[in-house]
Amino acid sequence: MLKRKLFRTLWVYKAQFISMVIMIGIGVGIFFGFNIEWYSLKVDTDEIYEATGFADFRVINEGGFTKADLEKVLAIDGVTDATRFLSVNTTVQNDPDIVALTVSENMNISGVLVTKGEAYDPESPDGIWLSDSFAAANDIEVGDEMTFVYKSITLGGRVKGLVKSSEYLICLPDETQVMPDFHSYGYAYVSPALIGNALDKLLPGLGTAGFYPQLHIKSELEKKDLVKKLEEVFGKTYMVLSKDETVSWSEAQGEVNEGKTMGSVLPVLFLAIAILTMVTTMHRITASEKTQIGTLKALGYRDAKILRHYTSYALFIGLAGTLLGIGIGYLLGWYIMNPNGAMGTYIDMPSWKLYVPWFCWLVLAVMNLFLTAIGFLSVKKMLQGTAADALRPYSPKRMKHMRIEETKAFKALGFGIKWNLRDCLRHKARTAMTLFGIVGCTLLIVGSMGMLDTMNAFMDAFYDKAINYKTRVYLDAESITNAEAAELAELYKADWCAQRSIQIEDRGFVLEIYSVTRDKVRFPDQDMEFFTLSDDGAYVCGRIARDFNLKVGDMLSFEPFDSDEKYTVPVAGIVSSMSESVVMTKAYADKVGIPYTVSTLFTDETEIAQNQHILNSQSKQSILDSFDTFMELMNVMIVLLVIAAVVLGIVVLYNLGVMSYTERYREMATLKVVGFKNSKIARLLIGQNLWLTVIGIIIGIPAGVGVLKYLLVALASEYELKLVLGPATYLTAILLTFAVSFIVGLMVARKNKHIDMVAALKTEE
Amino acid sequence: MGIVEFQNVSRVYKNGDHEQWALNHVNLSLEEGKFVVILGPSGAGKSTLLNLLGGLDNPTEGTITVDGRDISTLNSNEMADYRAAKVGFVFQSYNLIPTLTVIENVALVKEIATDPLSSHDMLEAVGLLDHKHNFPSELSGGEQQRVSIARALTKNPKILLCDEPTGALDSETGVTVLKLLLSMAREMKKTIIVVTHNQNIAKMADVVVRVKNGRIQSCEEQANPLSVEEVDW
Repeated sequence: MLKRKLFRTLWVYKAQFISMVIMIGIGVGIFFGFNIEWYSLKVDTDEIYEATGFADFRVINEGGFTKADLEKVLAIDGVTDATRFLSVNTTVQNDPDIVALTVSENMNISGVLVTKGEAYDPESPDGIWLSDSFAAANDIEVGDEMTFVYKSITLGGRVKGLVKSSEYLICLPDETQVMPDFHSYGYAYVSPALIGNALDKLLPGLGTAGFYPQLHIKSELEKKDLVKKLEEVFGKTYMVLSKDETVSWSEAQGEVNEGKTMGSVLPVLFLAIAILTMVTTMHRITASEKTQIGTLKALGYRDAKILRHYTSYALFIGLAGTLLGIGIGYLLGWYIMNPNGAMGTYIDMPSWKLYVPWFCWLVLAVMNLFLTAIGFLSVKKMLQGTAADALRPYSPKRMKHMRIEETKAFKALGFGIKWNLRDCLRHKARTAMTLFGIVGCTLLIVGSMGMLDTMNAFMDAFYDKAINYKTRVYLDAESITNAEAAELAELYKADWCAQRSIQIEDRGFVLEIYSVTRDKVRFPDQDMEFFTLSDDGAYVCGRIARDFNLKVGDMLSFEPFDSDEKYTVPVAGIVSSMSESVVMTKAYADKVGIPYTVSTLFTDETEIAQNQHILNSQSKQSILDSFDTFMELMNVMIVLLVIAAVVLGIVVLYNLGVMSYTERYREMATLKVVGFKNSKIARLLIGQNLWLTVIGIIIGIPAGVGVLKYLLVALASEYELKLVLGPATYLTAILLTFAVSFIVGLMVARKNKHIDMVAALKTEE
Repeated sequence: MGIVEFQNVSRVYKNGDHEQWALNHVNLSLEEGKFVVILGPSGAGKSTLLNLLGGLDNPTEGTITVDGRDISTLNSNEMADYRAAKVGFVFQSYNLIPTLTVIENVALVKEIATDPLSSHDMLEAVGLLDHKHNFPSELSGGEQQRVSIARALTKNPKILLCDEPTGALDSETGVTVLKLLLSMAREMKKTIIVVTHNQNIAKMADVVVRVKNGRIQSCEEQANPLSVEEVDW
């Protein structure tokens, strides 16, 4: 019989129960979704790292490594495996597309996973194993012929298989690009034989010896230990990059960490609101059921049975919310983690299975226990004392006088304001929960829209304003002289940049030496204000400044790779930069005596003539186009978060509004009887909501800014973002929160029309 | 014509196919300034009569005229205006707003009444000026009912409607409250309509209306009503 009562009572309190289930569902959904996202990403990327033998270290020597060098490395204690490796950007013949032509002598390291076609054959004289994503974007099939051009070398072959590789997990041509664009950039693996034949044509014997400027190593050693051992073996310092310093590892880990942050910050807010709302809701429901609880007790039901019955409401709500949440979580996880979803356009991997981290189940179990305990304690409170005590209706706290009532200002207030003010103070938990819901709503809107503002400002500064050229021309730094580069710069009215790999302490970075006389490249400071580089020292990016604790005026020491020189220069300023780099002017580099070769030109010319020293060129538009997908994804996420904020606001406010309405039903019936019109009572109810909204917004805006700041710190290793919040964000947050509050107030107030004055006034207080 | 006129008034509650006639073709005329007691057992229809008169409910058929105005077809807002202007209520369970103090509860009706009296004076008249800053929960039942009377009279209504006003009080407090209610209403020349099943109260009335099974059984004027003190409580 009690089971029937259970379902009928659930129906009576349907508004509260449904809103609780939705609240828990959203909280669990976001918690589950983001945790599924990062954990699946971790498991799926680990799978491809493992399957294709992602290297732990990369040793770079522009002059190339010999077989003897490889043997030496393999003999190092702690090195489990190694390979010689080549990756060189080539252009596809008769096409502007760029393909990184790749050879790994030992395909157990930095190898491929064939998704279609023949298995990789290291002896194949004409086999090309092309990136399947590049093939799909450019309509290339297995069996098609392709020709790649690098300087004067032409390599032709037939596509024998389509592949994925963890080396190109995030397939970006350079660090200025944020998102992969497989239409214009991809990779292909070829056999040592194919590249050897081409090299032999260039210089007989070169192909047989092989030209491999990289050694990829599998080793459990710490970077500093490996560097030391390599120095002992080779007698000189080579640039060594650990996997943390490669895009395909660090960016994927960045995404994992981002997911972890999102999976911990946002759900805490939703779950905390859900749990607190549960406390208030269960208390109110058991309070209004008190006489029924007393009746059951008086009839002879044991406390344990009554407790079980009422506790099952909380359990029921918890389980229903959890199931809904798991569904939402999988949907959210799938939305982000599918080959055509947000992550699919960024990370190129074969498996997109979803996994749930074990602790999520634990958290859900604990949460459900907690929710059930809330129900249990609420009923226990109502069952205290004898059956006669339990039969007495629940009486709310007696009103107490407040100090503020002595003030003239309070006395001058209208009755409605006094009524609402005292009601808020009498029902502090309900009021606090309402406030919490409003703060949550504002916070989410400010946070999500602020993130969009910040990213837009970032994009605007780095790509619209800092890039003041139309074309970027890559020069062949190995063959060109600075005088020849200067001629080309003059021809194309270009500014130029030279790059050198440097080491600060044991970490590798890029030194960029600029000659900017035509305003083609601009440099933003940490406040995103553009400034002119001075000739008084080096500029470090925000991340280097933070990691090495550098301030303007401090001395910075660095060593270029492939040389024994060491330079110590003053820090002239801190720049915001996409890449982790040290920047200086040509004049300062000359003053200090750092050798360099010009490698990039920045020009407004769009027609770049063939030249033996020009490798390829890239238009500003193609760089900007690659962000479109990124910004589209960002926009979708923001819209989803704003929807979540509005749903949160509506659900919390409606639940508490209905609760408040039920508690004040008798008071409102009295007002109605004495002659108050529905509209006037509605104004009173909405008034209370609106004041709480004002307070909620006042707290919610700085709280949203705070959460955003926290997120920016969490993302600081990936982007140098400066917090930007536009007036539209503030205005939207304020208006949307007010709208939610007003609409919910109106929805609750509409119930006034149905107040049964006669029945309400007959009831006992 | 009386201040209250019921012409062929019925109130039918429908529950599925079942019809319950709470009032069945009632005709009633009450004069201004009288103390009217409506007597009857539980379920007789006396509260329905009071609810219709108080503008809390609409009749299913018939016409109700109060102070010359037909109130049987008013919409929700017009009913609210009617309640605000013409009638004051005193309930068995007081129905004070727990979050407003005594003086605020009384002054509350000034927000809507067309011609209100001083809440301060009314509170003084019911002898609760010293408690004006107390909350209802800090008062006894009798005191709360006195606040309720002060609130009803502050509106300065034509008619005072009382539903078992002493029902929740012990007999001694009940007598005190009743005495106060009658003396104030008479002094202010109000028409008082009290619904009760207490025969003793009927002895004090100018007019006694007996209701049974939704019909008026009798409507008698009493030539010599007793005073509160004369009634054997």
